Amino acid sequence: MIQHFPVLAVMLLFLAAFQVEIFGSKNAQVRNSITFAATTISLLMILALIKPVMIDGQIISYWMGNWSPVGGYAIGIGYEVDALSLFFALLVSATFWLSAVYSFGYMEKDHHLGHYYTLFLMLSASVLGLTLTGDIFNMFVMIEVMTFASVALTAFRNNNEGALEAAFKYLVIGSMGSSFTLTGIALLYGKCHTLNMAQLSSILSGDLSGSTMMALGLIIAGFGIKSYIVPFHTPAADAYTAAPTSISMVFSGMVNKAGVYGMIRVAYIIFRAMDKSALQTILVLFGAVTMFVGVTMALTQHEFKRLLAFHSISQIGYVITAVSLGSALGLTGGLFHAMNHTLFKGLLFLTAGAVLTKTGTTNLDKLGGLSKKMPVTTVCFLVGAGAISGLPPFNGFASKWIMYQAMYTKAVESHNFLYAVVVITALVVSVMTLASFIKVTQAVFFGQLRPEYEDVTEVSMSMKIPMVTMAVLCVFCGVFYNLINRVFLYPASSAALNCVNYIDRMMGEGYAENAGVANIETAPVEFSYWNPIVWLVLFGIIFCAVAIVILKGFADRGPILESNSSTDAKYDTFFSGEQELFSQVGGSDLFWGFKKNWGGYYRIMGALHSGIVTDYTTMAVIGTAIIVLALFVFMR
Amino acid sequence: MTIIFTIIKSIFYSLVFPGLLFTAAAGLLLAGIDRKVIARMQKRIGPPIRQPLFDFLKLMGKETIVPRRANRLVFLGAPVVNLISLALIMLFIPVLGFTAFSGSADLIVILYLITISGVALIVGGSSSGSPYAGIGISREMVTMMSYELPFVMILLAVAKKAGGAAGMTFSMDAITAFQRANGSFLFTWSMIPAAIAFLLVIPAEVGMQPFDVAEAETEICEGPLIEYSGAALGLFKLGTAMKMLIMTGLFTALFLGGVSTGMIGLDIILFVIICIVLTVLCMTTVHAVTARLKIEHLFKFFWTFVAGLALVSLVLVWCGL
Repeated sequence: MIQHFPVLAVMLLFLAAFQVEIFGSKNAQVRNSITFAATTISLLMILALIKPVMIDGQIISYWMGNWSPVGGYAIGIGYEVDALSLFFALLVSATFWLSAVYSFGYMEKDHHLGHYYTLFLMLSASVLGLTLTGDIFNMFVMIEVMTFASVALTAFRNNNEGALEAAFKYLVIGSMGSSFTLTGIALLYGKCHTLNMAQLSSILSGDLSGSTMMALGLIIAGFGIKSYIVPFHTPAADAYTAAPTSISMVFSGMVNKAGVYGMIRVAYIIFRAMDKSALQTILVLFGAVTMFVGVTMALTQHEFKRLLAFHSISQIGYVITAVSLGSALGLTGGLFHAMNHTLFKGLLFLTAGAVLTKTGTTNLDKLGGLSKKMPVTTVCFLVGAGAISGLPPFNGFASKWIMYQAMYTKAVESHNFLYAVVVITALVVSVMTLASFIKVTQAVFFGQLRPEYEDVTEVSMSMKIPMVTMAVLCVFCGVFYNLINRVFLYPASSAALNCVNYIDRMMGEGYAENAGVANIETAPVEFSYWNPIVWLVLFGIIFCAVAIVILKGFADRGPILESNSSTDAKYDTFFSGEQELFSQVGGSDLFWGFKKNWGGYYRIMGALHSGIVTDYTTMAVIGTAIIVLALFVFMR
Repeated sequence: MTIIFTIIKSIFYSLVFPGLLFTAAAGLLLAGIDRKVIARMQKRIGPPIRQPLFDFLKLMGKETIVPRRANRLVFLGAPVVNLISLALIMLFIPVLGFTAFSGSADLIVILYLITISGVALIVGGSSSGSPYAGIGISREMVTMMSYELPFVMILLAVAKKAGGAAGMTFSMDAITAFQRANGSFLFTWSMIPAAIAFLLVIPAEVGMQPFDVAEAETEICEGPLIEYSGAALGLFKLGTAMKMLIMTGLFTALFLGGVSTGMIGLDIILFVIICIVLTVLCMTTVHAVTARLKIEHLFKFFWTFVAGLALVSLVLVWCGL
């Protein structure tokens, strides 16, 4: 029974996609029920796979139409779920489920919602299928469905300025990614006469010939475009801003992770090339540049969602850097950060969506002082901001911690100064991330309330539930990271490093051994560095002491005074004796000293982010050329 | 039994020594000496050394006003978080021979806790709703970005040097032990640029002139602290005093590690004396002879000159010198 679950989970979503349009285009009740049922059942099916795959270490395989291999060649399409696939599949299903729940409240005022949910379910099915499939061409098909559903959803609010433009950019760059991947797959097919990933892995088996390098370079560039690493990141900012927030959350939470999954699958399992230091260095460099460019661009943004979009790029840079280190520690950190990014970035996009629904804008220069009106949203935002900046005890801290550990271990082992620079970059980028979230905090939630937002209220329950759930998960994953590691990260990272079982399960026992594939045994990663429980206890002790001293010792002499009366001058804000005027320090007014010093850098960046599709295409082609050339020069 | 003993021990460590109480007392002492010495340098008599303590007690007794525009929870929570994170840092800094806690990544923990205390100040100031505070937090953040790069590089240089041939270590115990065996880093020529860079980072971290752009009493009326009063302001002032001890103590641990008399009482006295000397050297003197920098100059200074010094050390250490 259980082996049918992966394919059913995907199929159900595809089926529901069309049912929504047929039965629910007029009736919101039907539409929402179909969407909710499909996403919930699919999530439950994926959750049911945790026990056999993650805990018992099985690999689940399924041949479509029972077309099992004939004469040692896989001809049918196979689904194969190992711990790595399941790890990403879990993230996909959970994100889409939360997004669906959020959509019911968030999208209710939009029109043509039948189309919306059709595309939404297509997108979720394709990303889920991409993570579960064991056939590289099937993966390409899923990428195509994913790209086109994403393009349509980006342009869903096409009455908004910039939506169609964003969709067009996404379409052009996304199609380039798909075609690069397709070319790479065609080269592989020509060489190996098979499309099954397990069989490809055993046939290629460390082959470094020219055609293989070409295929590897093209496929990595293709997935790089899907995960928006620099220099392919350009459409992401527009698309995330223009899409409805429930979709931005999915884009940033899962669609770009699909690219990361593809890269891990291709580089670690199909080509098994991640032990080559040249490939590691190339990808780590791309990752480091991505995190730096992403965060510096985010610092200058005036638009909430656009700022979050650039942070997505930056955080994907962290993930790529960590998984490209080629070590078990790096993979663990990278996968953990991918998971955490899904949580906290989803949360941040949801708070942005909440602000947008209630105020009608996400412009940082036109907001301010919402914390008194939207307390739940503010707390959720602060949790998300703390997590993305990597402050303890949130989840971002735990995963960044492991990644730093992996990076400096790598720096020590390889004795390469480059990795020391990467560690410094990662730490500085973390501070810059903090800086840009301080900017959002000041510009949106604190500061002075604008008169036009006097009547703003807290968002509805359907929007609160996903936000609070994610905020709680952010804290949970930060405190109980050892549990997460044992159940999810260790199986997933060892699945990426050991592909013998993956091949044998698909192609029959002993197939991998005949092809000369061996496992690399790894021990579970231990995080002895950071023990959140002890920390919370210490924090609690001092907190109680301070609180007792203040309340008992001084309360009678110095009470805390608060008043909302508008006449008592005692509670006014200080204005040097001048008349009190509206004077919110907005988003663009912060950090000018920094921006001034970096004028030259920002001029170059401004020229690169010109908004012209041909420029972006050129950048993507150049990026691909660099990857392919670097592979040819350094790998062989 | 051992569990109860461990609990009592950690409560003692975090509340009395070297945690909250010791840090507060020694920090206020440093602040008092700083004020006294600077007054003498400027040909004034200056307040008594106990003055910061009196100021603190007076503030604790005053009423705390939450402005109408402020978010109450964040406004009042920030000073407490600031104080707690600072008290926690001291648990990781060896008082010469004595360390309360030591793990394998103390340096990173310290880096993060310092960041948290900065964030508490920024978020607290931001929540007060004052435009002066808005400008102040932006400057505080730029200051943080400025010193963070050299700070990280210094920590990496120390970690690499203390790791020896084996690699890197972020453990305070290992750093102290290495210096005990091989001589203090302050007297190792390849580490001297990093030590100078660290001395320049200290006043920026504490928010002392010429790097006090965030508070800038004469321009933006103490920026983030403008709306604070009573106990909340007292806690922030105490936090600044504690930061003086923490930063000078961190210098002592990183560059003068291994100095120890073997007796804990003498060690504490010697530690405080070293901190006083460092305070007078890198904060009071600099404060007395310089005027406030502009924000963009501050940023440029740290990312070119100070980061350059740190980089020299890092490269030298990386080359095995």
